[in-house]
Amino acid sequence: MNKEYQVTAGAEVHCELKSNTKMFSDSNNHYGTFANTNINEIDFAYPGVLPTVNSYAVELALKASLAFHCKINKKMHFDRKNYFYPDLPKGYQITQARSPIGVDGYLEIEVDGITKKIGIHDIHMEEDTCKSTHYKDKSFLDFNRNGVPLIEIVSEPDIKSDKEMIAYLEKLRETLLYLNVSDCKIEEGSMRCDVNVSVSKTEILGTRTETKNVGSISSAGMVVMVEAKRQIEELERGNQIREETRRYDEKTNETVLMRVKEVGNDYRYFPEPDIPFLVLEDDYIEKVKSSLEILPDERRKLYLEKGISLVNANKLIQNKQLSDFLLGLEDIDLVIASNLLLGDISAYLNKTEKGLTSTKLTKDKFKELVSKLSSGEITNKVFKEILNDLMETDSSTLEIISSRGIQTISDTSYLTELVDKVLKENEASVLDYKAGKDRALKYLMGQIMKESKGSANPSLVNQLLVEELTKR
Amino acid sequence: MEEKLELYEVEHVADLARIELTEEEKEQYAINLKKLLNEVEKISEIKNYDEELLITPVEHTVSLREDKNESGISFDKVKKNAPRTSGNFVEVPVMIHE
Repeated sequence: MNKEYQVTAGAEVHCELKSNTKMFSDSNNHYGTFANTNINEIDFAYPGVLPTVNSYAVELALKASLAFHCKINKKMHFDRKNYFYPDLPKGYQITQARSPIGVDGYLEIEVDGITKKIGIHDIHMEEDTCKSTHYKDKSFLDFNRNGVPLIEIVSEPDIKSDKEMIAYLEKLRETLLYLNVSDCKIEEGSMRCDVNVSVSKTEILGTRTETKNVGSISSAGMVVMVEAKRQIEELERGNQIREETRRYDEKTNETVLMRVKEVGNDYRYFPEPDIPFLVLEDDYIEKVKSSLEILPDERRKLYLEKGISLVNANKLIQNKQLSDFLLGLEDIDLVIASNLLLGDISAYLNKTEKGLTSTKLTKDKFKELVSKLSSGEITNKVFKEILNDLMETDSSTLEIISSRGIQTISDTSYLTELVDKVLKENEASVLDYKAGKDRALKYLMGQIMKESKGSANPSLVNQLLVEELTKR
Repeated sequence: MEEKLELYEVEHVADLARIELTEEEKEQYAINLKKLLNEVEKISEIKNYDEELLITPVEHTVSLREDKNESGISFDKVKKNAPRTSGNFVEVPVMIHE
C-alpha cells in the first residue's frame, strides 16, 4: 500500500443487551423463538401506547459505560430518530442523540507489543428494529427483534490499521462478555459492526466511507485494508472519495457500493416527549460500579505477575468459566493451577461435554489438589489417575488417594538407592551440576522420577538428590 | 403578490400524502401551505440555547420498569392490523434491491 497515505478507521458497534424484556416494552427478549411471538402493543406502536424504560437495560448500559472509562451522563433523555421504513412500525426509533449515557471513554489495546488507547466517543442506548427477510419481490417481517435493547458504542477515529481494528473489536467483545452485558454473537446479530475508513496524506482526515454490518471481527480488519487500498487507488487516479455506504463481500474480499449518502439526510431528531428525564443518582452509579466483574485486563495482569505464560493467560481469559474458577484462589500456585485447568481438566470437560460448575470439583478441593502437587506430596501421574474421581465424587484429594490405595513412595532407603543409581549412570550431569549448571539438577530429577515410574515423592527425591550431590 | 409554494412542491406533498388534488385545490394549498410554513419558521427565531431542553411538561423523572415479562399479544391479533401476512410473518413489498 502507498506509504504516503495515513489510514484512519473507526467502528460503530451495536450490541444487544442480555435482558429478559425489551427496551421500552415488557415483551420478551429471547433470540431464536418462533417469528412474531415476542410482541406486544407497544412493539407495534398501536395508538395510545406509551414506552416504559427497562431498568436492567439501563444497568447494563451503565456497566458497559463504566467499564470503558466513560463519563456518565447523570441526567439523560431519549430522542426520536425519524425515518419511514417497514422495519420500524412507529416511524421512528427511540435512541439517545443528545445525551448518551456514557461519553469520552477509551479502551486499551495491544498490537505488536505496543499498548494504545482507542477513544470511545460515546455509548448510547436505543432499540433494535425488526428483522426482515427478503425473497423475490417481497419482504417478510419478524417483530421479535423489534424493541430489543441495544447499546451503540462509537469509537473515535483512532484506529490506524487492520490489526488495531481487530484488537479493538476483540477487546470490546471480551469485555462485554465478561460483564455479561451482551452475548456478542456476530453470527446471530447480537453484535453488529460498521467500519468507517478514510485515507489522507495530511493531518486533515479524508472523506470517510461506512461499511455496514461486517460479518466477523477478522472481516472488519480486512475492510480496513481493502477499503483503504480502494480509496488510495481512486485518489491516485485523480478521483474523489464520496461519502457513501458500502458492504463487504467476503467471497471477493472487496467492499461494494450500497448507496451514496444523500445530502441533508435528515432524521429530524427531537426529544422523545413520552419519556421524562432519566436521572442516575450517585449511589446507584457507585452500586453498579462496585458490582462490575473483574475485567479481563486486570485478570491478565495478575496471571502474568504470577508467572503464567501469556499464551496460557489468554487461554484462561477466553474461557471465562476457568478464569472465574480462579477468582478467590489467587494465593495458590497459579502456574500449576492454570496448567491443570487448561490441560487435563479442560480435556475432561471437553470429553464429557460438561461445564466446570456442573462437576464436583469445588474451589476447596482444587486448592488442596494444587497444594499437594506443589509440595510434591502427589505427582502428576497420581493426579491423572484420580482426575475422574475428583470431578465426579465429593471426596477430597486425600480421601481419593487413600481409598484407591495410591501412595507416593516416601521410603527414604529405597529412594536413596534410586538416587545413587541414577547419579552413577549420569556422571556427566553430576559434573555439570558441580560446574553450576542448574539444568543438570532438573535432568537428574527427571531420570529418578522416570526410574520410579512417577511414584516417588518428588519433594523428598529433590531433598535427597541435593544431599547426595553435595556429598560428591 | 401573495407568497406561495411552487405547484410542483404542492404536487410532491400531495403525492407523499397519497391524496389527489384538483387544479383549484393545488392553487389554494400553494398559498395556505406557505402561510403555515412561515408560521413554523418563526420557531427558529427563538433563542433558547442556554435553557434546559423541555422534554415533557411534567416535572417528575422517569420511573424505571422492572425487567419482567408481563404482557404479549398473539400474532392473530396482529394479523387483523396488517394488510398482508404470510405464515407468522408480516408481508410487505420488497424493501431492498441489490
